[in-house]
Amino acid sequence: MTATAQPTTAEPAIAADVSALGRLRRSTEDTATMLWRDMIRTARQPEMLVFAVVMGVFFLVLFNYVFGGAIGMGAGVDYLQFLVPGVFVITALQGAQQTSMGFAADLAEGVTDRFRSLPMSQVAVIAGRTIADAVRNLIGLILVALLALVMGYRFDSAAGAVAAIALTTAIGFSFSWLGAAIAAKVRQPDMVGMLSMFWLFPLMLASTAFTPADSMPGWLQPFATYQPISVAADAVRGLCEGTPATTDLTLAAAWTIGLLVVFVPVSVRLYQQSP
Amino acid sequence: MSRMNSVIEAAGLTKRFGDVVAADGVTFSIGRGQVLGLLGPNGAGKTTAVKMLTTLLSIDSGSARIAGFDVARDPESVRQVIGLAGQAAAVDEKLTARENLELFARLYKLPRNRRRSRINELIDRFDMGSFADRPAATYSGGQRRRLDIVAALVAEPLALFLDEPTTGLDPRGRAEVWDSVRALAAAGTAILLTTQYLDEADRLADHIVVIDQGRTVATGTPVELKAEVGRDILEIHVPTDGDFARARELTAAVPGASVNADRRQVDVPITEGAEQSLRLLRTLEESGVRIDDFQLRQPTLDDTFLALTGSPTKPLEEVQP
Repeated sequence: MTATAQPTTAEPAIAADVSALGRLRRSTEDTATMLWRDMIRTARQPEMLVFAVVMGVFFLVLFNYVFGGAIGMGAGVDYLQFLVPGVFVITALQGAQQTSMGFAADLAEGVTDRFRSLPMSQVAVIAGRTIADAVRNLIGLILVALLALVMGYRFDSAAGAVAAIALTTAIGFSFSWLGAAIAAKVRQPDMVGMLSMFWLFPLMLASTAFTPADSMPGWLQPFATYQPISVAADAVRGLCEGTPATTDLTLAAAWTIGLLVVFVPVSVRLYQQSP
Repeated sequence: MSRMNSVIEAAGLTKRFGDVVAADGVTFSIGRGQVLGLLGPNGAGKTTAVKMLTTLLSIDSGSARIAGFDVARDPESVRQVIGLAGQAAAVDEKLTARENLELFARLYKLPRNRRRSRINELIDRFDMGSFADRPAATYSGGQRRRLDIVAALVAEPLALFLDEPTTGLDPRGRAEVWDSVRALAAAGTAILLTTQYLDEADRLADHIVVIDQGRTVATGTPVELKAEVGRDILEIHVPTDGDFARARELTAAVPGASVNADRRQVDVPITEGAEQSLRLLRTLEESGVRIDDFQLRQPTLDDTFLALTGSPTKPLEEVQP
């Protein structure tokens, strides 16, 4: 091109290992790195943990003390026992919404551009985030469970409690990928917050999280019975009560896996598209 | 320069966004230790070119190779050998400088035993010790930009892309970035630097590519580009608007003459030597135009840029006296 600089042959660089095994190893390594980063960020924003439990706490207190009498009397059961597993699932869903808004904010930060120019697995950018959020969710769920215990809630057994919280965390994790996909598509954090109203509230309220499906109008019952939040609430309720039903657990597992199968690749693809 | 020797090589890079051609056949190559200045006004297509070369944007037509790897076919290998510092400082605001560098060192797969020494070396070399353990959100603009550039250096890239690295920096921050760029080039890194500042390109670049609306309008060394205007310029300052109007009228016929009303300044290219200057000044005097002062000067890159693109570059007010 020019005579100004002394041309030297570029050092031979080593090509990237693009074999399946190479990719898998890189993805795992990068996910661990991103998780490390996201956990530091989580620890530096303790207020996010407050946001993670606030909805669960609201629903627990409000529904129990405000609506509890009316709803409980109609169903002829102790409403708190019915309510708590539902609140767990709602807390997990709230965590997924946080993933959505948090990831949209991440995408608006310049650092995401750098991630795209790095020799790293792009899945790891989202996986680090969703796993870190699952950890925060787990802490939030334990706090909500402790509050429920204080309010007089009783688990059937400790093992049941552990299983219920584990299942709820898994469901929350799968919804986090849905949240990440929405964030990667929409990008603006405000817009993501608004949009979450559209999927969060119908799923939350037209579900068996707070009321049994048979108290709803007939046209709503099929949706309210089989939508993921209801399925999750029923399965978690079974684990809490010590009466796990295979159907409920299978359906809950199917929704969890189904959401992951769809939204892991979708969110990665949407993330990789230039805004 | 032969294909073998170039670290960064762009051949006919083209990108369209709808009807807009953001980059139109951009071609250049950069060897080891060379700095190429990609110069152009806002929206000229500089960032588009950088994004294509760094695998962030697909290439519509043309091709690019970095250290021998094809950008379109082997982006993963390309990403291993490049460093990118963009216009917005791309660092994690919640993390400290040390943590940011650790993060990028891990993602570049630097061996664990080399990470710590490399990070300490970079923090020392770029004088970041005083703020390395505070979160980046607390940094000044210059500190953040420095971290951003250093983050691009973690894995000792063969090719470094600096997209307007000094935009928005104060003079001190700018001088720091310039020093870093010189040091890196001296160490053998091939550097593509985009800038809106002619002065910056003049100081740092071995070679300049001027682009405007996606198209290359000139290439050459700073000296060659200045020579392209090819002649001395007689710069005349007059005391009043009346004198200015008269002087403008009298010089309008000279090819390439330009005026600046705010400064009441008339620039006339001189192609026929001292005789022409004298004749011109005499004509003005005889027409009753008063002259504050005049000087015969070499063309600047600004003159070249104006001649090439029809629009002036941004002045570098903060640096020039």
